[in-house]
Amino acid sequence: MLDALSGRFPVSVVTGFLGSGKTTLINKLLKRPDMNRVAVIVNEFGEQAVDNDLVEVSSEQMMLLNNGCLCCVLRGDLQETLRDLYVKRRNGDIIDFTRVIIETTGLADPAPVMQTLMTDDMLLANYRLDCVVTLADAVNGLEQLETMQEPVKQAALADRIVITKSDLAGDEVTAQLEERLRELNPQAPIRRAVNGEIDLEFLINVGLRNIKGKLEDIERWMGEPDEHGEHHRHDERVKSFCLRYQEPMTWTAFSQTMEVLGALRGSDLLRVKGLINVAEHKGPMVIQGVQHLFHPPVELENWPSADHSTRIVFITRNIPREAVANLFAAVGAVTAAA
Amino acid sequence: MKPTMSPQAQAAQTISRNMTLISHNELAGFGGIGEGINMQVTKDGRRILWLAHESAPKNFTAVDVSDVKNPKVICQTDLPHERVRSNSLDVVGDIMVVAYQTKKVGDKPAGMDIFDISTPEKPKLISHFDASGPHSRGAHCVWFVDGEYVHLTSGSGDFEPTHSNDFQFYRIIDVRNPSKPVEVGRWHYPGTHKGDKEAPPPRHPKFDGGYRPHNINVFPERPDRAYVAYLDGGALILDISDKSKPKMITNWRYSPPYNGFCHTVMPLLGRDLLLVTDECTKDDGLDWPKLGWVVNASVETNLVPMSTLPLPPVENFAKRGGRYGAHNIHENLPGPASFRSNSIIVGTFFNGGVRAFDTSNPYQPQEIAYYVPGAPKLSPKGSIQINDVWVDEKGLVYTVDRFAGGLYIIEMNP
Repeated sequence: MLDALSGRFPVSVVTGFLGSGKTTLINKLLKRPDMNRVAVIVNEFGEQAVDNDLVEVSSEQMMLLNNGCLCCVLRGDLQETLRDLYVKRRNGDIIDFTRVIIETTGLADPAPVMQTLMTDDMLLANYRLDCVVTLADAVNGLEQLETMQEPVKQAALADRIVITKSDLAGDEVTAQLEERLRELNPQAPIRRAVNGEIDLEFLINVGLRNIKGKLEDIERWMGEPDEHGEHHRHDERVKSFCLRYQEPMTWTAFSQTMEVLGALRGSDLLRVKGLINVAEHKGPMVIQGVQHLFHPPVELENWPSADHSTRIVFITRNIPREAVANLFAAVGAVTAAA
Repeated sequence: MKPTMSPQAQAAQTISRNMTLISHNELAGFGGIGEGINMQVTKDGRRILWLAHESAPKNFTAVDVSDVKNPKVICQTDLPHERVRSNSLDVVGDIMVVAYQTKKVGDKPAGMDIFDISTPEKPKLISHFDASGPHSRGAHCVWFVDGEYVHLTSGSGDFEPTHSNDFQFYRIIDVRNPSKPVEVGRWHYPGTHKGDKEAPPPRHPKFDGGYRPHNINVFPERPDRAYVAYLDGGALILDISDKSKPKMITNWRYSPPYNGFCHTVMPLLGRDLLLVTDECTKDDGLDWPKLGWVVNASVETNLVPMSTLPLPPVENFAKRGGRYGAHNIHENLPGPASFRSNSIIVGTFFNGGVRAFDTSNPYQPQEIAYYVPGAPKLSPKGSIQINDVWVDEKGLVYTVDRFAGGLYIIEMNP
């Protein structure tokens, strides 16, 4: 009956390049009838943080929206804001929200936001990362990816990528951007939005919601299969690759490998997701990490299919596949011999 | 105007975590339910939930919950008059026992009925166990799980208390022949019966709830023990290896300093722990704190509290109307359709709704789920007053409002 994932509030992180339309997208989302119990966290109540026609009551820190949602300003830090929201919800001071959307600033590195959800015990018990949505502006996106670090990282860390303003940029430019984004992050499905119109299904319920281990849930979370090798046709820095192992490994071997990798190259280990076949465990161990920090592993009840192989997707900066594979071999051997 | 809500607006909204409402039934307009819920699995495979009403005019209601999405009332009975309430019932197989407590001493019916419910639409009275008397108000609670003995919180015709609040005590009734129930043993708190050599126990200085048993737990796994909550007397363990002579083993008295009304003492079998609950009996937080306690019982004669079940702050809930604090828990009853866990506790907290806790770490119980329905229509308190709960073997939660809301069927961890 106890399910380590079920019952935690899903958190969507909406990140994206400057001017890519994050606010527009969130406003469109909030106007959907099935998005009537959302707490939105924004950095500031700018002129258009939330469409005026949605606002019912507001204070300096918080707005109640007329569709039942809530919008609040990031107070202190995200950790404090999420804790405060949870306590207020439990006390019934605010709406009974069922989802949190965090809008980051255009220049934000989404990694610390994701790490906040992985490291605070209280937040871990009550929230789960559902999806990192990265918006890329088709008009300026290619240039931003060439000249700035943040957009590259936002794209690399994404679970879903939405290209905005493709109607202004035209098909050719949009296709180039799409190709570039696919190189950076082949796992993240990409869609185009015009004026914030996008199928909601694409953006929600991406993270694992329970430990049942259904195939469709796992596939949705892991992203698009891409096991054709490394992607560094254009960009030598950011690479994506998948490691597979047929034989079960010990948890010690796996965690030692990741510890070594994290200690040596943590800042370049952009995102890791995987299912680990741990010896003597019935279901796979779900792991996910952002740089040197990992979410506590969650064991699923069952394998999603007959394929019980360990599979780990890495998105890294300047770390080739061979280096990680060699490390697994080395640490695995050491552990086996010990 | 602040974007937080007034207490009334807070009471109006449903709040939940990890629990989802499957269905709700107002029980034909008589939605006030007491502290008796049990499930019968009939010979033809139907699942019938039996509910004792909190007060007249209704006695008990049977709800067919075979399809939990569409619960159907199949039987609802009336009490003979407004001066009696049923409040408590239990079911074993096709036998149901129902308690009757009168408003005043000396009135009738006072005691217990035994019904044949093999046809749940038409319960047939088998016998009435009379507990009336000049100083008796009859029975408040039944515990009936083995088909043989009812552990009854009741007065009797021959019991004269030393204080008018102490009108009930512990009676063991042999119902192996259900047409002739007969008392085989009894126990009362020392000093509460006229003629006792002990002095009467001290009255609670602020809230004199009395010295009476409330819930009595006796499990087939521990047939020699009765776990008794004795209101202001606290938590007790009795040795009932000889049913004719129950003996007190231990008494954890914690009121004062706390505010009395110990309600349930449930052993977490196999863990040397007790889960003890108080009952909140005053509106608006007057008798706060009313808690669920995790108690170390590894040395039976020295019960030591370890922690309490974490609850949201009284400052928020006390203002919403009615009571807020601990009350009933699902008592791990044996039976074919009952949930049994020695770590997951599901309890009711009046306007704090129904809440579930994981006590795997007894020093730090964790809240894992809750459901607080919005105020029912016609609620006299302006808030929900969740009174009792029963959990089935699939983990479905059946919980009831004390006044108007009726039955809520809730799924945990959807």
